[in-house]
Amino acid sequence: MSENELSSLVVKEGKKGGAEDVAATCVTEDVKMIRFANNEITVSKAWLLSTINFMIVFKKRVAIASITDLSEGSIKKAVHSLLEIAKSTKPNREYERLPRGPFNYISNPTSESIQTSRLVEYTKDAINGALSIGAKRVAGTLLFNNINTKIETSTGASGYDIGSSLEISVRAFTNSEASGQANQCARRERDFFPSKAGQAAAEIAKEASNPVEGKPGKYNVILGPNVFANLINEVISATSAFNVDSGLSFLKGMLGKRVASSSLTLIDDGTITDGINSRAFDDEGVPTRRTEIIKDGILRSYLHNSSTAKKFKSSSTGNAGWIVPQPWNIIINKGHDDFQNLLSELDDGLYITNNWYTRFQDYRAGDFSTVCRDGLFKIKKGKIDQSIKGLRISDNMPRMLRNIHLLSSKQNWIKWWEVETPTLTPHALIKNVNLTKSLM
Amino acid sequence: MEDLAQSAVNYSTSLGSTYAEARVQKDLGNSTVMKNGKPQFSGFLREAGIGIRLIINGSLGFASTNNLTQEGIKDTILSAASMARFAAASMKKPIKLSNLKINRAKWEVKQRHKFGSIDVEKKIKLLQNIDKLFRIKSDVKFPSRILSINENLREQIFLNSEGTYITSKVPRVSFLYFMTAYKPSKGTAQRFNKKAESSGWEAILSWDLTEFVSQEINVLASILTKAKRPPRDKTDVILGSEVTGIVCHESCGHPFEADRILGREAAAAGESFVNMKMLGKRIGSKTVNIIDDPTIPSSYGYYLYDDEGVQASRRELIKEGIINEFLHNRETSAGLGIQSNGAARAISYDREPIIRMSNTYMDKGDYNQQELFKAISKGVYIKSFMEWNIDDRRYNQRYVGLEAYFIKNGEPKYLIRNPVIEMTTPSLFKSIDAVGKDISFSAATCGKGDPQQGVPVWTGGPDIRLRNVKIGEA
Repeated sequence: MSENELSSLVVKEGKKGGAEDVAATCVTEDVKMIRFANNEITVSKAWLLSTINFMIVFKKRVAIASITDLSEGSIKKAVHSLLEIAKSTKPNREYERLPRGPFNYISNPTSESIQTSRLVEYTKDAINGALSIGAKRVAGTLLFNNINTKIETSTGASGYDIGSSLEISVRAFTNSEASGQANQCARRERDFFPSKAGQAAAEIAKEASNPVEGKPGKYNVILGPNVFANLINEVISATSAFNVDSGLSFLKGMLGKRVASSSLTLIDDGTITDGINSRAFDDEGVPTRRTEIIKDGILRSYLHNSSTAKKFKSSSTGNAGWIVPQPWNIIINKGHDDFQNLLSELDDGLYITNNWYTRFQDYRAGDFSTVCRDGLFKIKKGKIDQSIKGLRISDNMPRMLRNIHLLSSKQNWIKWWEVETPTLTPHALIKNVNLTKSLM
Repeated sequence: MEDLAQSAVNYSTSLGSTYAEARVQKDLGNSTVMKNGKPQFSGFLREAGIGIRLIINGSLGFASTNNLTQEGIKDTILSAASMARFAAASMKKPIKLSNLKINRAKWEVKQRHKFGSIDVEKKIKLLQNIDKLFRIKSDVKFPSRILSINENLREQIFLNSEGTYITSKVPRVSFLYFMTAYKPSKGTAQRFNKKAESSGWEAILSWDLTEFVSQEINVLASILTKAKRPPRDKTDVILGSEVTGIVCHESCGHPFEADRILGREAAAAGESFVNMKMLGKRIGSKTVNIIDDPTIPSSYGYYLYDDEGVQASRRELIKEGIINEFLHNRETSAGLGIQSNGAARAISYDREPIIRMSNTYMDKGDYNQQELFKAISKGVYIKSFMEWNIDDRRYNQRYVGLEAYFIKNGEPKYLIRNPVIEMTTPSLFKSIDAVGKDISFSAATCGKGDPQQGVPVWTGGPDIRLRNVKIGEA
């Protein structure tokens, strides 16, 4: 059966069984990955996967399933099992009926195939790019993703989306404590330059040689694109209405209020042509769109599906998730200054190129810490003074957002292990950031 | 299914692979989630597929599909084999695996209540009863809470081109909760936690969840209303089992993973401050013994054979303060001319087996709790935590206490808010002077690999005492 027929079968069987709402997505993935370390390929991976995910609602009783056996008999059996579960569960009074279709979707067909030999060549380009700048060791991951998604709902939504993307994340080392990390991601092969990622990672690693212990304290800091993207992913997560309602957000009750300095404008966009996570529709079949979440520092919108929109007396933003609204591609509007201008603002500050392991003590209050990783530099009088190590940002997210001072005029797309949602981001200069380190 | 696995291995070797293995795996999962007292959804996962690893011209390939037809499997293998061949042309050092005796075994975790035998109504009733506990008579409210109950069953056939053949069946159950305590004059305090075992529903019954969550609610309310600022001087510290466990996991288990040490995970999960030459070197006081043991019955990280077909064993990572053993798979052990100690795990059929922990804990010492406290005139007891992190070489770590007490004259006197331990791994292990007798475990999901693989683990140990630790404040 085709993806069309599989989704239709789920909807037909669900309705036949008395469901008030049924939504089904059939996702087919052709994925290839090359991982490398110590300048060599360590493993080559290939996946061919097909999954059907479906939601069945019976008198506001919500049940959700995911299956990989796509035979007709198995699908029918799974639908009937899920119906039984829906019937025996309790109503979710916050549930809102699926939006009525049909919808018109804007087609963004940017699916490309790629030769496996080309992926190996790209990997070598990245490694050689880093080595040519002076890296001693290079590690990373190259990913090619080709995903087809078919949606069908019992309320008349029907759509098909295809998309492919290329991503590479490169980490270059000049020694075990001096490293740099850089990424490239693109929806089209013509926009993908893995050797540039290798070179950029190695440039940071070279600069980071011979780090000394950093000193804790309050600093004006420049966050590189990796760091700012990581933190803004946390901010966007805090705008998902489910998280707002669950205590997982420091943005509860802040709609229409100032939550950041006027430098910050944040957008979620599922339609952008070069967004590697763009899709024509969300999981309820609602067309994706461009949503201004924070405009000039004012919180304008949460991310919604139909049910959270009802609860918050709003309308869907095309970000379903049947339960948890999810972002598509995050865009942080650029500022007016080039990177050198940002540097020149710092008399005694820090430049943090990467981070990892962001964890919250209290999501509601926004208290968190994250560990600086790879190149970390002390800035004196507008110039890189010294490579340092051993610091972590230990601060409060609302306070940091209010302290954003400047954003650079150049943006980069970031997506890697620590940045799940693709994010187009500038560098950010943030004032009075608290940095801590091991006390013994 | 066995036929499919065997033909996948045969096909891989027919393409010129010098080694091939296949895992056919079926994962079943049932979940029920409640938010703020309202059932959100119930549902299930039913997935099955095959994961194949092959070595061709010294290059490693991994192929996976859920199209369980001969044709679908062959297509996927061809794709991975083709990439591996191209990669081989530029490899200076061919990948080798350490020798493995041929194992043929069948193992399973018995369940008294079989997977799927508990209906959804009963699960919702349980969660509703737990949720009612949040209506306490206090000026502290619990406006946000998420409760979730999950059961899983993993069935697997593993076979390789050397003749090893293993079948296994593991049920797991878990209960997760996230709660926010709120009082207008005090703000919020939050707790995320999980209980989990490799077991049937009987584990859920044994946990007495209403009593357990009641205690958690009362503690969080007390933290919010009563906790005072922590001391900022150097002081003695007792870490409760929950904190001891995360320390053992983050600061011993991870840096002792041989693939990190050798740089294979450098791009994402990172490397290690430990190197192979540090075997036999002191890293902690003589009281420190840290174990990783997948064979603990009903543990969340339980297995008897790993996902390379190697028999599982108890690993003594740190013995009396000395680095004793690293966690290995067949690839890392081959490079050192030793045998794998069975640490290769994959979370599902579509993930490559890589080196993982299982149940990592500090072994018991000689002290009862009273003795641990008695020798402290002024100190801090950190029983649980929320925020934590560690750098990607596993050297600088931070744990922010949640339930924590000021100790005076050998007794916990009052609650303190958000004490911070931020110190290096050697400093931490060297400052331990006494280890308790009573071990307990916490359940966790450990992240590593690309794509990410969250594997079930236990972390644990007894209460431990650290001397002269500088405490920070979040």
